Amino acid sequence: MASASTKYNSHSLENESIKRTSRDGLNRDLSETVPRLPGETLITDKEVIYICPFNGPIKGRVYITNYRLYLRSLETDSALILDVPLGVISRIEKMGGATSRGENSYGLDITCKVCGDQVECGCRCVLHFCHRFGDLLPDMRNLRFALKQEGHSRRDMFETLTRHAFPLAHSLPLFAFLNEEKFHVDGWTVYNPVEEYRRQGLPNHHWRITFINKCYELCDTYPALLVVPYRASDEDLRRVAIFRSRNRIPVLSWIHPENKTVIMRCSQPLVGMSGKRNKDDEKYLDLIRETNRQISKLTIYDARPSVNAVANKATGGGYESDDAYHNAELSFLDIHNIHVMRESLKKVKDIVYPNVEESHWLSSLESTHWLEHIKLVLTGAIQVADKVSSGKSSVLVHCSDGWDRTAQLTSLAMLMLDSFYRSIEGFEILVQKEWISFGHKFGSRIGHGDKNHADADRSPIFLQFIDCVWQMSKQFPTAFEFNERFLIAILDHLYSCRFGTFLFNCESARERQKVPERTVSLWSMINSNKDKFKNPFYTKEINRVLYPVASMRHLELWVNYYIRWNPRIKQQQPNPVEQRYMELLALRDDYIKRLEELQLANSAKLSDPPTSPSQMMPHVQTHF
Amino acid sequence: MFSLKPPRPSFRSYLLPPAQTDDNINSQPKIKKLEPVLLPGEIVVNEVNFVRKCIATDTSQYDLWGKLICSNFKISFITDDPMPLQKFHYRNLLLGEHDVPLTCVEQIVTVNDHKRKQKVLGPNQKLKFNPTELIIYCKDFRIVRFRFDESGPESAKKVCLAIAHYSQPTDLQLLFAFEYVGKKYHNSANKINGVSSEGGGRGGIGAGSGTTSQKTPLFETYSDWDREIKRTGASGWRVCSINEGYMISTCLPEYFVVPSSLADQDLKSFSHSFVGRRMPLWCWNHSNGSALVRMALIKDVLQQRRIDQRICNAITKSHPQRNDVYKLDLEKTLPNIQEIQAAFVKLKQLCVNEPFEETEEKWLSSLENTRWLEYVRAFLKHSAEVVYMLESKHLSVVLQEEEGRDLSCLVASLVQVMLDAYFRTITGFQSLIQKEWVMAGYQFLDRCNHLKKSEKESPLFLLFLDATWQLLEQYPAAFEFSETYLTVLYDSTRISLFGTFLFNSPHQRVKQSTEFAISKNIQLGDEKGLKFPSVWDWSLQFTAKDRTLFHNPFYVGKSMPCVQNGSVKSFKRTKKSYSSTLRGMPSSLKNGVIGDQELPPRRNSPILKHKPDPLQHTDSHNSDMEQYFREWFSKPADLHGVILPCLSGAHIKLWKLCYFRWVPEAQIHLGGSITAFHKLSLLVDEVDTLSRMLRQQRSSPLEACYAELDQSRMYFRAQGPHSTSGTPEFLSSSFPFSPVGNLCRRSILGTPLSKFLSGAKIWISTETLANED
Repeated sequence: MASASTKYNSHSLENESIKRTSRDGLNRDLSETVPRLPGETLITDKEVIYICPFNGPIKGRVYITNYRLYLRSLETDSALILDVPLGVISRIEKMGGATSRGENSYGLDITCKVCGDQVECGCRCVLHFCHRFGDLLPDMRNLRFALKQEGHSRRDMFETLTRHAFPLAHSLPLFAFLNEEKFHVDGWTVYNPVEEYRRQGLPNHHWRITFINKCYELCDTYPALLVVPYRASDEDLRRVAIFRSRNRIPVLSWIHPENKTVIMRCSQPLVGMSGKRNKDDEKYLDLIRETNRQISKLTIYDARPSVNAVANKATGGGYESDDAYHNAELSFLDIHNIHVMRESLKKVKDIVYPNVEESHWLSSLESTHWLEHIKLVLTGAIQVADKVSSGKSSVLVHCSDGWDRTAQLTSLAMLMLDSFYRSIEGFEILVQKEWISFGHKFGSRIGHGDKNHADADRSPIFLQFIDCVWQMSKQFPTAFEFNERFLIAILDHLYSCRFGTFLFNCESARERQKVPERTVSLWSMINSNKDKFKNPFYTKEINRVLYPVASMRHLELWVNYYIRWNPRIKQQQPNPVEQRYMELLALRDDYIKRLEELQLANSAKLSDPPTSPSQMMPHVQTHF
Repeated sequence: MFSLKPPRPSFRSYLLPPAQTDDNINSQPKIKKLEPVLLPGEIVVNEVNFVRKCIATDTSQYDLWGKLICSNFKISFITDDPMPLQKFHYRNLLLGEHDVPLTCVEQIVTVNDHKRKQKVLGPNQKLKFNPTELIIYCKDFRIVRFRFDESGPESAKKVCLAIAHYSQPTDLQLLFAFEYVGKKYHNSANKINGVSSEGGGRGGIGAGSGTTSQKTPLFETYSDWDREIKRTGASGWRVCSINEGYMISTCLPEYFVVPSSLADQDLKSFSHSFVGRRMPLWCWNHSNGSALVRMALIKDVLQQRRIDQRICNAITKSHPQRNDVYKLDLEKTLPNIQEIQAAFVKLKQLCVNEPFEETEEKWLSSLENTRWLEYVRAFLKHSAEVVYMLESKHLSVVLQEEEGRDLSCLVASLVQVMLDAYFRTITGFQSLIQKEWVMAGYQFLDRCNHLKKSEKESPLFLLFLDATWQLLEQYPAAFEFSETYLTVLYDSTRISLFGTFLFNSPHQRVKQSTEFAISKNIQLGDEKGLKFPSVWDWSLQFTAKDRTLFHNPFYVGKSMPCVQNGSVKSFKRTKKSYSSTLRGMPSSLKNGVIGDQELPPRRNSPILKHKPDPLQHTDSHNSDMEQYFREWFSKPADLHGVILPCLSGAHIKLWKLCYFRWVPEAQIHLGGSITAFHKLSLLVDEVDTLSRMLRQQRSSPLEACYAELDQSRMYFRAQGPHSTSGTPEFLSSSFPFSPVGNLCRRSILGTPLSKFLSGAKIWISTETLANED
């Protein structure tokens, strides 16, 4: 769906300079032709051999800035350009030694991340050029550069890359703090919690906004502002916090505008092996249930497989037992943990790199279990949405800590229930609210600027959520204001470190680092180029609940994202269907204009009072 | 129990879209007193009252009460009860909502649950128990179930036996089309204007849309072939009429196209050596002069080499550059018809499998194991290779197959869909089916298995539609037709009314229908056999409004290609894409004109002419071919030029509309690609209206009146300028079909979708019901 040719036009600066280069073609080593963002500085450049997995070795010059690695082919018949933000680099290794024999056996091997280890990260300008020059879409999972064995060229390059790809390990700032880009929209103002809760009709006489966490004293990974039952006092909240893992107490995420049922989120109760109980917690859950008098029980969805939930008792966690919580009904949603997801995505990489598995594509895909996990997450979210909408019961969602699977479930359920979140700004608010403010550990899950590529904390949880959103947008092509390009842009900048949006683990850390003051928001870039991210088929609908079909029969691998670098996977650019729609829109406007002109001319001739087009249109309708 | 549910006072229409007023034809069902609606020549064989049609397997509360009849055309269930929860019904004018044509029946199972007995009914079989239940498995993946708890046991049994008997006829002339057309001829004898609407291949789809009311060439006549030669600019080829009256071969058309250099006398003498006397048949010509030819094997071993060389030489001579011939042995490289049938059977089992949830976990590998997608891909791949030979190597291609009437049909037509934009229009596609399937002697009777002799059954035609769908999916703007059109076309092969898909060859139609006419005392005059209705006469099946759903709003159309001497507009457009592959060729070749230096040495060199097995030099070919494909894919596709399929595993998909439309659990309510289709249709309609208004404004009143008559091409109509109407309630991924009651399953009604789609093993709450009506 995405059009690669325009996918990265957000890098307007880059594109311009690249176009310039390509036009003269011979402009070889002028550093000013390397695209640069305001605040981006060139560190070094070097002649290398790029080992392209599709086309073999290509001689080129590599430029390293504090933001990106940029490589341009020096061969006349190749227009290859690599443009990789350093943020996507997961690992840099030296290959071969000073005595290595064989062509191109001495150099660097760079692995990109998506799930803490390896990835394609999409190569922007290359895609831009693939049209004109045929092939040469590089693989982005591993970049291999061969270097000359003389001198210290490799050591220098290795060190420069390491310093700037992993700035945190070298006491350097992330590029987002150096970025001086200016946009005419400020993305940091997109999400205002008070406004968002007001949009939901909160506070009301059952729910109140509390500032108890103003200084992140109640819970350091929660936002400052929380919505809780009106009848629960701040003292109650403090006592509940003791019984919830990392003090992540049940708070409101969303309220149904009509039946007033709610989606609550929290972490697991600290039940432990001994089966501890906490009267305050039990009372608090009852208060939640009582805010909605339509049904006798509160539904608790524990996102984990039941085995895992039981196993968590050993480390002090657990789940709400029937004995302790008479008025609640608990179901497990069987969604696996971050480690399982990481391994699953790794397997996806294996079947698409370097070649897309051909003969047994479907069974290979099945063996990755990626779509099965997507299915479980979507199914869980459907259950949450269905319970709130049709079952008219309030729902409490948690997993262990309530910042991974819980965020997936609440945000997807909200996307199904509330059409507001299907608009561009609505979706930004959803991400900002359910993920960023509620402490999804972006810093740890992605490992921004961190050199520890094998960190067990890394996991593609947010990517999985975006994949689920993409699956929904495939099933409901008119329900979302944004297009595939929007989702891909979000994922690209999840890793790039160009924007501050996804940096750090929680709101308190972001506040300490003054992220909103010192960095640019991704939404600034997106909202100032909104047209590019709009789905032309969007039909705004209020109050429509979307139930995707979470069946393997409909789920698909997101080829345009996971395999976009592969030259054998053709992407039609721009998307012919979207393009057709845009052409027709232009044609319609042209016709309307010409009709107006004709009408004016005719009426002038007849010296009648001119008919305005709006008057003319109702007449048109009689033809239909 | 029956008395508890009194029949509803009147027929209630559950068709939500705007009333369909046009095209009232005589078979408009007006249900009163549970009377069947019969076509001319249709007779009721047996009937039983107080039958329940089951809607769900776990509850009878939604069951419909009515009468089940078996006619010589269909199984009909007549009821006054409206279909519960059904929001849309795409009506076929030949069939009622609950009807199944006899030729669509796959298997009939009778059950007696008191005696715990079950029997699959063949023709002329006895049934030792009184059935309490009848399950009909349909070829289009539907499963229909009836209960006889309240009906007379004997009449129930009789109806079941009648259905078994009539759905498995032993003779071709027992198929309903004969009765129907016989009746038409009789009636026409008494009237002045008789069967005028029948027989002609009018591609009448558009409701006065102007562009599509073109007639589909049937290739029954000399002139259709001649026009095709001219359209494609095939200068070295001529129409040959030695098979007039089927004097040479009974499985070839009367007219076909051969190299100009082969005289009739030569052809006659060669014909004996070919299997089925099926001589080389020209299919199509590339504007660069290379031709696509299909040919049966030469069975005469002694003559094989000589004849083969003569034929190849002749084909080479017909090429403006005297280029070589590339031969492709389809049987060596492609799955055979049995394998394709086996794959289809597995696919069907997988798609109708119940419970739904059980197949979910292993869905992808099960789908792979059917091998259906693998075969779809194999055909696309080989066809793309033929495209490369014709388009890039400038070689004429001969498709070889034992009889040349199975795999050849599929490959020949796919190649043409990829190469020639004309075949991506509705009229063009229909003419392609006429040319490469109907006239070329594809054995529809055997392959569709209308007479239930299962060993010859094979869904090659469906495989072709599926492969076309893949291309449509990949290049939505390159096709004039929609996937609804393809699906409906597939369904039409299961309606034994059209002559199009009824016979093994054109000769069989003539022979059988002449016999039939004689036996029924029908005067044929100078007609060659009876004129059966053509499937291309879509007005027989669908109203003008409903036919507009065949139009693909994504299609970037241009005025239809018109036949001109030698070249066609559409070809001029494609020149652009050829030029890229012409780079590096001697300039003398570029305009399709032979430079003098190219001619002499090759011409009489038999060594060069006789191509070795293509497999032997695959290496060099493969890398060139790879290069060609790469280059092609690196450029934006010219939708009026060549289109090539993406063949990676991720690109070949299951045709969900066709295979899942009856599966309630797989239905996406208010979703699916149809919602984008809808949205775009509205815009196309609005643009059309505006353009009409513009014309009106400019033109004289007379022309203005004419413009008024124009109707929309689109099914979904804009309600006014800038209309922002939402997605209609009745849209779903199954649209325009509806799974309700077509595939009996548990709890299909009123239950939220999430119920079926559990990934979680534990279901605790069951109390919720969806809000929909």
